[in-house]
Amino acid sequence: MVKTRRFLLLAAIFGLVLVPVLLSQSLVNAAIQMLIASLFACAFSLLCGQGGMLSFGHAAYFGVGAFATVHAMNAFNGAGLLPTPFLPLVGAAMGLVVGLLAGWFATKRSGVYFAMITLALAELLYALAPHLKGWFGGEAGVSSMRMPAFGLSFGSNTEVYYLTLIWVLVSLGLLYLFTLTPLGRLTLGLRENARRLSFLGYNVHRVSVLVFAISAMFSGIAGSLQALNMEAANYVIFDLQGSAEVLLNSFIGGVTIFLGPVLGAALMTFFGYLVSDMTHSWLLYKGLLFVVVMLFMPRGIAGLVQSVAASGRRQGFTRLAPSMALYAVASLLLTAGTVYLVELLQRFFSQDYRSLAVLNGKGWPPIALFGAQWDPTAVLTWALPVLALIAGVAVLRLAHSRWIFVVENGECVQAPLAFDSVAPKGGQP
Amino acid sequence: MISSHIIRPLILSAALSSLGGMACAAPVKIALIETLSGPQASTGNTYRDAARYEVDRLNAEGGWNGEPIKLLEYDNQGTPSGAADKLKTAIADGAQLVIQGASSAIAGQLSEDIRKYDIRNPGKELLFVNVGAEAMDLTGAKCHFHSFRFISNAQVKIKALVAAMKAANVLGTRVYSINQNYSWGADVQQAIEDNAANGGYEVVGKTLHDVNKIQDFSPYVAKIAATHPDTVITGNWSNDLLLLMKAARSGGLKVRFATTYMDQPGNLANAGSVALGAYVVHPFDAEAGGKKSEAFSEAFKAKVGHYPVFVEPQTVFAVKMVGAALKQVKPENGKLNVNKLALAIEQTKVETPMGEWSMRAADHQVLLPLVVSVVSKDAKFKVDGTDMGFRPVKLLTADEAATPAQKTCKMKRPS
Repeated sequence: MVKTRRFLLLAAIFGLVLVPVLLSQSLVNAAIQMLIASLFACAFSLLCGQGGMLSFGHAAYFGVGAFATVHAMNAFNGAGLLPTPFLPLVGAAMGLVVGLLAGWFATKRSGVYFAMITLALAELLYALAPHLKGWFGGEAGVSSMRMPAFGLSFGSNTEVYYLTLIWVLVSLGLLYLFTLTPLGRLTLGLRENARRLSFLGYNVHRVSVLVFAISAMFSGIAGSLQALNMEAANYVIFDLQGSAEVLLNSFIGGVTIFLGPVLGAALMTFFGYLVSDMTHSWLLYKGLLFVVVMLFMPRGIAGLVQSVAASGRRQGFTRLAPSMALYAVASLLLTAGTVYLVELLQRFFSQDYRSLAVLNGKGWPPIALFGAQWDPTAVLTWALPVLALIAGVAVLRLAHSRWIFVVENGECVQAPLAFDSVAPKGGQP
Repeated sequence: MISSHIIRPLILSAALSSLGGMACAAPVKIALIETLSGPQASTGNTYRDAARYEVDRLNAEGGWNGEPIKLLEYDNQGTPSGAADKLKTAIADGAQLVIQGASSAIAGQLSEDIRKYDIRNPGKELLFVNVGAEAMDLTGAKCHFHSFRFISNAQVKIKALVAAMKAANVLGTRVYSINQNYSWGADVQQAIEDNAANGGYEVVGKTLHDVNKIQDFSPYVAKIAATHPDTVITGNWSNDLLLLMKAARSGGLKVRFATTYMDQPGNLANAGSVALGAYVVHPFDAEAGGKKSEAFSEAFKAKVGHYPVFVEPQTVFAVKMVGAALKQVKPENGKLNVNKLALAIEQTKVETPMGEWSMRAADHQVLLPLVVSVVSKDAKFKVDGTDMGFRPVKLLTADEAATPAQKTCKMKRPS
């Protein structure tokens, strides 16, 4: 188990190193975005997943890191004490300082009140930023330019990618190591039972502030990398949307599992990159995805992967394969039906289509979708997606009952406990 | 050693593609990077519709170099970072021109990104066609050779508004300035103060308020009423404009409103009779240009489904100007030289239904005619399905509307 994990990790890092060699420039840019979002989500879930403190305003620390970096870029010109590759240190420092300050206030309360305070602090920054033109550059933002350092020009996407990759890997490594430290273990204690922690003699407020600040520090690094990539920062970065996105990403990935948020952020960012130019309903799909994950996979995608792997180890993958295939067919059918229906409705209700219908003067013209023309008045046009959805639900139920049958009636192929007791040495709550 | 069955096809395909490059020219690709999803999508879609309309028209005239001009559409997701991403994709897709307009924040990002890209990639430059972002900085401290603004700014708009209202004798001598507290509102307030001498008025009060956060404007209205102004000039848009005007009406305040965004779709329907008598300055009015502007309006409606309003006309005229400049530039090895196009745009003058548009070389600010209209039931073209529309008061030529280039603009031109 440990060996396979290590092997998978090394393979993943090797794959990441090869990205700029294998993929197009625009995909390399998407990869940079995915890395940054991953780090941000991981920093966020240190607070939320491990510490049990749900922050609604984490974009603030991300943004603070970004602005600090842009100003440092302009001030140092990438020379002297702070060459371009070390700029994220500024974001980290600024994130830490602001995190300590904000954390001191926010962690005075817990639960919903904590969330509201973080939200208020972030909104405060968002409301203030456009007025402080000297700091935040007003509507046009603050921009800068990456300066060459160590013989690298930092003009190309590839160089920025490697810079981002190194920073993200190092940060993720540090975040993982943090979970192994005594303070990291205390973080879990905060989530599980803070009162008990205080009875044990720990200063709960101080621990919470530290966790908050460390989370803000790594968010600052992520913001820094974003500023380096974009060579600019704009007060829009403080918008609630940023805070909401990292929350969604983390929960979709699985906020309580260390690499879950990384998975979620990478997937959702790539989803946005891929789908946002294909359809204008991509935000709706994102929302649907979130709802589906929250309803059926409360531990996120990473949790799903974990439990499937665990069942597979217990029952044998060959015995589960048929029901997995059925699950795949069911999700394909459901996705196809939903996408078809949403796209059809979106086109049907779009302004373009309505004005076309008016101009034609001959009722509803056919709708072009998936390379075919669909007559909106024909029964088949609407029956097709509905049938796909019904079939999807039917297959889903079949898959589910088969899965239950195999899990309940199969004898264990391997003794699971012997393995599980070796594998997680901590870190994963 | 790499076997030859990999190398050979590679060389062959490289040779073929270079041959292909010589035989048929690359079409000019224009990237529209606009907000096409989320709450701001309706504005992004208007820019897109107008750009599509004019590109189609240019292609019907033969496109450029015998090839149709391609309009690529990207969704910037409403954020500067989203726009920066999509710009990279657009560059990878081979776009040479970038159109955007809906937000000054996004325009600032795109303009700066394009400036940096052009410095790093000489010979492969991009051009920024700003069709709607009005922040002063974009033709001021952030101006550069590859960025063109095809819309007015706060100084131009307020100067025209004041001049026309004064000529029509409806301005009065006491003016109140109320604006949203961010760069646009601050620019408008500055312009209102700057034009006091020209307009022969005194600024009796000024307010900057939160953007899109205030539900009840009655305290502001009380403050306005206390100063007894004849006219309230405001750069407010959307809800902030409507709520302000409604609060003024219900507070019994008898003042004239002079606005810059009253013609946003939905505003008249939403405001109802409160809007009657409000003045607005805008780049196009279907009545103001006589037969020519009516013909344009009908042609636009025949293609798009509604009369051109709000930001649509300016987008059409901007693309028209770019198209006219393209005609002046000859392809080099089948490709467009963007620097030559930029120089051509500086020389281009196009006739629009409102009058002549031209580009000022000093700061790449377009010089455009503006119309000042009043909301009235006598208007020929009704808006939003109401019985009201915009009746032109005065059409100002580009010369009359122009304001001097900002001193902060220091443009480096290619030598």
